[in-house]
Formats: sequence, structure tokens, C-alpha cells
Amino acid sequence: MELKKDKLTEALLLLRGASNVILPVSNDGAPVFKLWDGVAEPCLSANTSLPPKDLLFPRSEKMYDYNVKTGNISEISSNKKQTVFGIRPCDVRSIENLDHAFLESGYTDSYYKTRRDGLTTIALACTETARTCFCDSMGLSPNDAPGADIVLNDRGDAYTVKSNTEKGEEITRLWKSLLSKETGKASKASGSVVCDFKARADKDLPEKLVARFDDPMWDKLSKACLGCGCCSFICPTCYCFDIGRENHGASGTAFRCWDSCMFSDYSRMAGGHDPRPSKKERLRNRYLHKLAYFNLRYGVTLCVGCGRCVDKCPANLDVTRAMDIISEGVRADG
Amino acid sequence: MSEKQEKMRQCAEKLLRDGEAGYVIGWGETRFDDRTTPIFVEDPAGAGAFVWNEYAINSLAKYLLDDKYPDKKIGLFTRGCESRAINRLLKDNQIKRENVYLIGVPCDGKKSDRCTLCRERNPILYDVLLWTPEDDPPPAAGRFDRVKDIEAMSPDERYVYWGETYDSCIRCYACRNVCPACNCRECYADMSKTGFQGKQHSRSDNQIFGVTRAFHVGDRCIECGECERVCPMNLPIMGQTQKILKDINELTGEYECGMDATSENYLGRFDLDDKDEFM
Amino acid sequence: MAESIRAANIEAKNADGRAVNPLLPCMCRVIRITEETPDVKTFRIQTPDGAKPFDPMPGQLAMLSVMGVGEAMFSVTAKDDDWIESSIKKVGQLTEALHSLSEGDLIGVRGPYGNHFPVEDIKGKDLLFVGGGIGLAPVRSLIRYALEHREDYGSLDVLYGSRSYGDLVFKSDIFENWPSRCNVHITIDNAEDGWDGHVGFVPTYLEEKAFSPENKAVVLCGPPIMIKFCLASLMKMGFSKENVITTLEMRMKCGVGKCGRCNIGSKYVCLDGPVFTMSELDDLPDEK
Repeated sequence: MELKKDKLTEALLLLRGASNVILPVSNDGAPVFKLWDGVAEPCLSANTSLPPKDLLFPRSEKMYDYNVKTGNISEISSNKKQTVFGIRPCDVRSIENLDHAFLESGYTDSYYKTRRDGLTTIALACTETARTCFCDSMGLSPNDAPGADIVLNDRGDAYTVKSNTEKGEEITRLWKSLLSKETGKASKASGSVVCDFKARADKDLPEKLVARFDDPMWDKLSKACLGCGCCSFICPTCYCFDIGRENHGASGTAFRCWDSCMFSDYSRMAGGHDPRPSKKERLRNRYLHKLAYFNLRYGVTLCVGCGRCVDKCPANLDVTRAMDIISEGVRADG
Repeated sequence: MSEKQEKMRQCAEKLLRDGEAGYVIGWGETRFDDRTTPIFVEDPAGAGAFVWNEYAINSLAKYLLDDKYPDKKIGLFTRGCESRAINRLLKDNQIKRENVYLIGVPCDGKKSDRCTLCRERNPILYDVLLWTPEDDPPPAAGRFDRVKDIEAMSPDERYVYWGETYDSCIRCYACRNVCPACNCRECYADMSKTGFQGKQHSRSDNQIFGVTRAFHVGDRCIECGECERVCPMNLPIMGQTQKILKDINELTGEYECGMDATSENYLGRFDLDDKDEFM
Repeated sequence: MAESIRAANIEAKNADGRAVNPLLPCMCRVIRITEETPDVKTFRIQTPDGAKPFDPMPGQLAMLSVMGVGEAMFSVTAKDDDWIESSIKKVGQLTEALHSLSEGDLIGVRGPYGNHFPVEDIKGKDLLFVGGGIGLAPVRSLIRYALEHREDYGSLDVLYGSRSYGDLVFKSDIFENWPSRCNVHITIDNAEDGWDGHVGFVPTYLEEKAFSPENKAVVLCGPPIMIKFCLASLMKMGFSKENVITTLEMRMKCGVGKCGRCNIGSKYVCLDGPVFTMSELDDLPDEK
């Protein structure tokens, strides 16, 4: 099946009739996910500067209201339906990884689950990669998004439409009048995209990383780190959070919000002891979580190779450098 | 370019070999030709890793705070912006002059927006100067141009402008962490228990951070532009600090920070003769 | 690639067995407050309907909150048919707020979290409980369990010490309730007027007692420095690390293995802990 590009707006409007539609629009030329107003032109030239994790795991999310005097606690939940359009294969994988963290191996996170159940993903396979993209080193492909409900492939004047799930089938039914048979003419090179930027994510990387926990390379790798939370916040798979509260007299609201393991107060205990007291321990923990601990727990690598952290780090730190050092068994220099 | 780079490598190598410095901070390669990353070289044989090109952009002085009590001097490649940051840190009693060896490297301007603000390409203080000073950039006629644009807005427009601008702040604190004037041992924003700074992402909490930081560094800002360079959301952070600097300039005459290590911080002093036009 | 350590899915349930949001506290009442030491209080907690908030196993954790102030994780030191207890040392903002509560006040409670002492694996063994200071709090839940299931275990020895007499917690247990039912050995660090018991540090006393490692499991909780020296003493006495069990503390926010901060390596202390054997800790990175 395919969707002619001149029917895209119509298709999006149909989606908008059934749920909120979130898609990349231009913000000074850079694509960002926004709630679609039904008018704005989708900006599909490159991946978004911020990942879509906000849709499932908002920067700030109200959890429950409480009243100190009455002892009342009332849960706050959001069950709005959302459809995200134009999400890239790396970000689709990031949602699968967040699913592992929030829904599996232990407790089910109610807030995440409600939002996840209401989310439909319409992915767009990449027609070109940014110079910091390395998803195909991390075991995924820029050409497909098997975890998405629908995958679109750019074929020049049309998108091929592939449904992977029941939610996807619902969309194809919704789009029925707009879809046509594939013509088979691929004028654009979609389906054979590769990343130029490579990282060494060998199968035994998790074990190798854990084995080098005490290696002096962590000193070297972390020296230039500023200890900011930029990498965590722009990462599609960083999901650490803090729980806080906002009081108004006797009543108040508990919320959770993004947190970063790179921050100085992140693991500091009430008595003042901090098991990760400097940026060396913090960076090591972040890299190990991405590339080793998550594998050991859930069987997949947390890093999806979207390259946002490589692109945006104020100190130009590069996680692939750590992967290369480990994989090649060499010592860090400089 | 490469002749200067060679001079830098030789100087670092000698400092390390002679034991004059424990390590030297400079710029090194990344996997991209148009980016460098700060590197910390201890081994004289590693001095060949230093690079000097139009992408040696990051300001290096803030890293001195990671090692306030070094065994040996810390060698630091020092341009105009690093030297102003050093003055900032000296004035704020954050480092000791004798703990650093400043290798002066007059700057020819780098490929970064932050360099368009530069008023001081040559190091103001140094222990050695590796080559002849560069011509200073054109007079800083445009120093406060941006502030003027914001001042031209009505108060309501300004309120909306900053509100909308700070909606996109993700509070990663990169601006704070890179800033040489942000040198508190513990930032108020990290003292989560005090409740000074809410951790949730809301317009008001984002603005509280922006405004608090602006006032805390406003009279000490060296205008290096690092805060805006590192901001992943491209926020016009210096629009705030420069507004404060512009006001101070208008109240007191020429005021520029980091030009020496002794001048008083305008908002950090108390004087009975203070102008109180605003009261 | 090592096998992933997937935990079985856990469903958070309330006392009626209904599935609940694991991050949502329920309001409970503090029905009794016991002042253990100048900075430790024990809080007995009950639901407004007079039931216990949940039924924890020995060693499990409870997330307690003072609404409007914050939440923190504490071990449940005791339970009965209709209440649970936590003993809490004043160390920070939240614990100060807890200490200022009065009987009858409301607090938020959620849990139980984490694993528990391996009550099945240690069946049939002699048990030696070693505690220092507030470290007796998590151990108390297991001592009470062993006393309730007395026939399942061999000899029971409790060796407990603190800086001074005033700093000893659970005085009614260690001086009145327990001595008739198990061997209790108490020590304080320095001699003081009115104390005619043993004087000396816990590790030294432990060696003096020369417990046999034969068929014995040790439960060891206390300040890190005490753990370190006690472990060395136990090794000298012939115990193996597999048979020495302890509990860990880390900063926690969610309690359900999501929020990130309590990890040591790939383990979350809130989910995979807090109870570990010393040999399990050897396999984890040194980041505690």
C-alpha cells in the first residue's frame, strides 16, 4: 500500500479527527515535535533535536494531589490518545526500550502504561542520515522500524505504508480511501540508507565494560565533561526521574520530572554520603547504564545510536569513543 | 596555523618534561574535523595531541575548578576569553595565580557565534606569550545591540518574549556549568531541599532559574558567550546578563568584567552614595 | 552475553489484593511513637481502618512520606496483625519532619519493596545477628520472625552494640523480651556509670565470643566501618561470605526499580536488594 504525498495533509487530518497528532514542525529550521494544529507543514528533513520521550514520560508529570489536613490523596492520570507521526527508527526503538524499563521486569508504571496504551506510532524510515547517526552500529536499521505501529518509506512522490500492529491496522482502515496500490517505482533511495558514523558495539561490550569498571580510562573520558544534564535530557532513552511536590497551603501536588544521573544531588543520601561523588563516577554510571547494565537486565542495549548526545555535548564528548576504546582493548590517551 | 600549533605543542612538551606543570589543558581532536574537545595532557609524549585551528572554540578556564589544589601547576592555553575567566576566578577567590601556568595564545577568532562578541583576543595575563598579539577586533559597537532590541519591546511584549523563550529551557544547567562566573561550590539550584528552585519543568521554574542566574552573574559576566554556545536549546541567555551590564554601564560609565582581578563587582558592593533613582 | 537478570513481574496490590499504582501512597495513621534514643524513634503505623498497610517479609522496605515534605525509604522493623513499625534516625529534612509527628498524625505509606531475608534458605541453621547502632532496625524484623518460627531455626544469638547505653535501640526487646528466648550479647563502646555489661567495639566482642561457623548464618547490619571490621573478624573465625547477609542503603525515589538512582551495577537496591550476601556484594562494582 502507498500514500501519495499530495494526500498527506488529508491523511493527517483524518488522524487528527481521532486523536491528538504530534509531528515534527520547523522551529527556526530545526524540526521539533509539536502538537499539530492542522495547518503547519510537517518538517521531515531530519530527525528532531529533542526525542519524543516527552509523550510518554513528560518532563514534568503530576502524579497525585494530596491534602495534609484531610489526608486525601487523589491520583492524577492522563489517558489522552496521541498519534506521533514522522518518528524515526532510532526513536521507535527508544520507546521499545522505555517499555522494557517502565513495563517489565518488576513493577508496571501506571502513568507510563496509560500514556503508552494511548500512543500510536507512525514511523518514517530515514532517507538520509545525519553525520552523528550510528543506529546501524547499535543493531537497528535506519530503513525500518519494526516496533512502530506503521512504517512509512519515502518513495519520492509517495510513502509505502506498512502496518505492524492492530493499532496500525486501525490507521490503514482510517486511511482506506487515501491509500493506493504500490506502483513499485522508487525514485528516491529509501531502503538502503547506511550510517557513515560507526561505533564498535560488539556483542561482548557489556561484559568488557563491566570488567573495566576500575580502569583509569574513566578519568580520562570524564575530564572534559561539564557535569551538565544536556546528554541525559536530549537522550531518547534516559528515563531517570525525581519525585517532588508543590505545596499550596494544606493541599499540594506530587509530581515527577526528568532527572539526570550527571547532577551532583542525584545520588547524594540524606546523611551526605554520595556513592558517585564526582563526574568520573557519574559519567561511568551513565555510559555503563546505556551500554551494559541495561543489557544485563533487559537483554538489549539502551543506546539506540541517535547521535543526539554526540551532536550536542558542550564539551564534544563522544560516547562512541568509549565504545571504541573498550572494543579495541586499548588504553585511553589524551 | 600549523606553525602556531607546533609552538603550542613544544611549549606544553617542555613544561611537562621540566615538571613545571603537572598537566596542560588545551584542545584535541574529535572524530569530526570541525570540532575539538578539551584535553588534559600529563605525558610530555602526548603533547602532540594539542590542536590549534578555527574550531578550538571551547573556553578552558572553568576546568581549573575541578582541581583547586593541584600538586603542580596546571598549564592552560590562554586566549583573551580564558584570561578574563582567570581574572574572574582570581577575583572570586576560586583559584590561586601560582597554581596555574598560563600559556598565552593570541586568538585570531574562531568559528563560533560567541566570538562575534569578542572584545579581547589577546590574553590579558599570561606567563609566556607564544606569538605576537593579534589586532583587536573592530570596536565593540554592537556590544549591546541585542539588549536594545529587547528594550524596544513593551513590558508586556518582553514578558511574553522571555516566557516563551524559557518554555523551551530543559534546565540541563550547561550554561551554569560552563560559566566561569558560576563558581559557587554548591549552586542554589542543586539545593533541592531548600525549595529555592523547583525541580519541575514549568515556565515559572524555568524563568526563576534564568532570572536568578542572570542576577547572580550579571555584574560578573565576562561576556565570553559560552552559555549561549553550550545551550542545546539555543536560548539567548546573554540577553539577560548583558541587560544588567548595559544598565551598569549607563549608571557608572565603562564597566567590563575580567579585565583585571581586582575591580569591585558592581552589585556586590555597598555604598551610601549609590544612585537610587529607581527608588 | 550473560543471561539477563529479568525479575518476575510484580503487581502492586493494596491490602484487599486490588492492583494499585505502585507510586501512589496510602494515608495511614501513626498510632504509637517510641523514643528509642535521642535521635531514633520507632513509628507504629496503621491504616485508618485499623489494619496493617501491607504484609512485609523480614527485611523489606516501606516508602514513608510526610505530605508536603517528602518521601524516603525505611526498613520495616516489625509487624503484627494490624500494624507495621519503622525505626528512624534523624539525619535530614524528611526524618526531622517524621520526628516532629505526634501519635494520631497521618503519613503516606507505600510498599512493601525489595527482597527479604532468605528465611527459607536459612531454615535449620543457627542464626547469629550482629548489629551496630540503628543497624539493628532491619535485623529486628528477622529476629522477630525467627522467634515466631522458633522450631525452624537452631540456636539464636543476638550481638548488638552502640556508642553508649543511651544509643542502644529497642531496649525493651534486648533487655526484656528477647533474653528469655535467645542469647543476647550487648556491648557499648566506652564504659559509663551504671553500665555493668560488656564494654568494647562490636567486632572485638564478636571475636571474643568465638562463635563457631558450623551450620551458622550471620546477619550483619550497621555502619559501614563496623561491617568492614566485623566481616574481617568473621572471615578470621572461618565464616564464608555466602553465609554472611547484610542490607544496603542507597538514595531512592521510586522504590520500584525505575527512577535510576539506587543502582549498584545492574542491580537496583530497591528491587533486587536491600538484602545481599557478602559474596553477592563482591560481584557488584565498588560503588556503595
